[in-house]
Amino acid sequence: MATQPENNENNSVVYDRSLGGMVRDATQAFIPLQEVYTPEDIEGTDYESDLGDPGKYPFTRGIYERMYRERLWIKSFIVSYSTLEDTNQAFKEYLANGQTGLRLLADLPIQSGLDPDHPSSWNAMLCGGISSYALETYEKMLDGLPLENVDYELAHMGMSSFLCFYSYLVAMMENQGLDISKLRGASINDPFRSKIVYGCPDFPTEIDRRINLDLIEFAVKNTPKWKAYAPNGVDPQQSGFTAVQEAAHVLAVATAVYTDLINERGISLDEVGPTVFSMDAESDFFETICMFRATRRMWAKIAKEKLGAKTARAQSLRIGIRTSGLSLQTQKPLNNAARVTLQILSCVLGGVNSLDASSIDEAIGLPSREARLFNLDAQHIVTHEANVPLVADPLGGSYYVEWLTNKIEDEANKILQTIEDNGGMWACLESGWLRHQIDASRMRVQAEINEGKRLIVGVNAFQGDEGPINQAIENCAYKVPSKKMRQKTIADVKRLRATRDKEKVNAAVLELYDATKEGRNLVRATIEASKAGVTLGETVGVIRMAYGYGYDPLNQIEAPAFITELLGGK
Amino acid sequence: MAAQDKPIRIIIGKVGCDIHERGALVLARAFRDAGMEVIYLGRYQTADSVAKTAVDEDATIVALSDHTGSMRYIAEEVMAALEKYGGSDIPVVAGGLIAKKDLPYIEKLGVTGNFGPGTPLPTVIDHIRQRVEESRQAAKA
Repeated sequence: MATQPENNENNSVVYDRSLGGMVRDATQAFIPLQEVYTPEDIEGTDYESDLGDPGKYPFTRGIYERMYRERLWIKSFIVSYSTLEDTNQAFKEYLANGQTGLRLLADLPIQSGLDPDHPSSWNAMLCGGISSYALETYEKMLDGLPLENVDYELAHMGMSSFLCFYSYLVAMMENQGLDISKLRGASINDPFRSKIVYGCPDFPTEIDRRINLDLIEFAVKNTPKWKAYAPNGVDPQQSGFTAVQEAAHVLAVATAVYTDLINERGISLDEVGPTVFSMDAESDFFETICMFRATRRMWAKIAKEKLGAKTARAQSLRIGIRTSGLSLQTQKPLNNAARVTLQILSCVLGGVNSLDASSIDEAIGLPSREARLFNLDAQHIVTHEANVPLVADPLGGSYYVEWLTNKIEDEANKILQTIEDNGGMWACLESGWLRHQIDASRMRVQAEINEGKRLIVGVNAFQGDEGPINQAIENCAYKVPSKKMRQKTIADVKRLRATRDKEKVNAAVLELYDATKEGRNLVRATIEASKAGVTLGETVGVIRMAYGYGYDPLNQIEAPAFITELLGGK
Repeated sequence: MAAQDKPIRIIIGKVGCDIHERGALVLARAFRDAGMEVIYLGRYQTADSVAKTAVDEDATIVALSDHTGSMRYIAEEVMAALEKYGGSDIPVVAGGLIAKKDLPYIEKLGVTGNFGPGTPLPTVIDHIRQRVEESRQAAKA
C-alpha cells in the first residue's frame, strides 16, 4: 500500500520501477478479466437478437435510432440550497448555462416525513436542501420558472416526498390555470430503496406499496409525461452493491412493482410507456458502460416476455444517472474532476438519457456554484469538443465490451433467479435478505481497500501533499445553515398553521383520511390538502392514522389537537 | 478483572435525520474486529436516546457520526444530555463530514477525533483506545 516515494537517509529519491503498478485483475464488481478479448469470447452473440440497431429491440445499443443526434441526454443536477430564494436564483443561473432538467430535493427531516418544528428536525434542518414543508415553499422556490414542458425530477428518498411534491407541482399548475397533462418529468420513487438504503421512517412498506401504485395510476391518467416511479440502483450501489447487483436489483424492483400494477390496477406496461431506471455511474469505466447496455437488453426481454409489453416504447428503457458520490474523495479534491469526467464519458458511451454528475467538492460539502458549472461545462466539452455523442454506441462490437455486457447479463440473471427462489422482491425486502446482500458486498469492498487491493488515489495510495488549488476547493464548500435560519423556518411553518383557512384544512384532512381508509386513490386528496395549506408532516400523520398507526413516524410527538378532534370519532 | 482489562464498550450514535450510514457501519465492523463491544443505535436517534443508552449500558465511550454538517449542534446536545443523565465522565468522539471551521468549537466541548471520510481505520481505533485509557486513568486518580 505504501506507494509514496520515500527519501532514504542521504535524502535522495529511492528509485522504484514498480511504483504505481497495477494491483487488480478484476472489475470493481469482482469480475475476473483476461488480458485481451478475441472473437472467440463472443461466439454465439447474434447481432439481430442480442444487439440490434439503435432504436430496435432489444435496445442494447440505445433507445433512439439516431441516438444523441435525435436527442441529447438531459443535463440535470440536484439544486437545493438552504433557502428557497437561493435555490430559485441557482435554478435560473444554471438554466442559463445549459442545464436542461430541474432536479428537486429537500432537507433530510422533510425527506423523512417530518415538519420543521418536529423535535428531531433541528439537527439536519436545511442541510442538503430546502425545507419544503408545504405548497407555499414550492411557490417561492419555483417563482418565475416554467411549469409546462420542462423536465422536473424529484430525487427524494421517501414515498411521502413523492406524494407531496408531485401534488405540489400539480396544485401549482391547477392554481395557475395550466394544463396538468403538460407536466413533464420523473420521480426517482422506489419503495425498496427508501427502506433498504434509508430506513425511511415516514410509512411502513404496506403504505409505500399502495401509494406507489396510486401515484403511477394517477400519472398514467392525468399527467402522462410524468414517470411516477423509477427503480433506483444508485443508492443501493452507493450503500454496497456492485454494478452487477445493481443491474439485477433495478430489474427485480421494476418487475415487482409492475406485477402489482398489472394485477391490482389492471394497468398495462403499454399504458405506462417508457420506464426510467435511476442508475449509478461508478469509476470502473468499461463495467459502467456494459452495465447500461446489459440492463437495457435485459429490461426489453423482461418487459416483452414476462410483463407482456407490446409496444417498443414500453420495452425501451430510459436510463437516468447520478454519478457516484461515493467515489469522490475529500483528500486532494481536485482529483475528483478526473473521476467525474470519466464517469460522464462512460455514461455517454453507454447511451444514457439523463445525467446528474456529482461535483468535485461534493465529498466536502454541498456543491458550490463553480463546481456545478464545471459539471455542465465538462458535458459541453464531451459533446462539442470531443464529439463523443456523434455516433450511437461507438463501442458496440468491441470484443471486450460485448463479452462484458454478456457477462453482466449472465451474472445478473443468476441473482434474479436467487431472488425468485427466495419468494420475490417483496419477500426479500421483508426478510432482510436484500439488506444482507448490500452489507456483505460492502464489507468485501472495504476489505479490499484495507488490504490495498483496491487503490483510491489520495486516500490509500499516492497521498501526496495538497497545494493552494485543493485548499481553495475545500474552502469553497458549503456552510452549515445557521441557527437563525432554522428558527426562521420553524416560525414560517407556525405562521402557516396560524393563518390558513381552518374550515378548508379540516375538510381536506377529513377527505385525505377517508380516501386513505376507503382505499381510493389518495393523490387527488393530497393535492387538495396541499392547496388548503396542510403541511407535509400533517399529510404523513393523517395517512398513518388512517392505517391505524401513530401520527408521528418517530413516535416522539402527539397528533395536533385539531386532527385528534377531527378524527376522534372515526 | 482489572478495569483496564475490560473490553471497550462503544456506542455509535447518529442523532437527527442523517441517513448516511456507510461510515457508521464500516466502523461498527472495524471496532468489533478490534475486540470492542459495539452497540450501534441506528439512525434517527435523539441526543437523549444516545446519552441515556450510554449511561444505562455502562458504555466506555460514545462515537457520534454525522454527514449533514451539523456536528456542532449534535455535539452540544449530546454533551448536555450526558451531563443530565450523569454520564459526563464518558468520553465522546466523532466523525463524518465536519466543517474545518467547526473543529475548535467541537473540540472545546470535549468531542475529539472528528475524523473525515477516508481516515485509516487504525487511526480511529488508536484514538478511541487513547481516549479510553485517559478516562480510565482519570477515574483512578
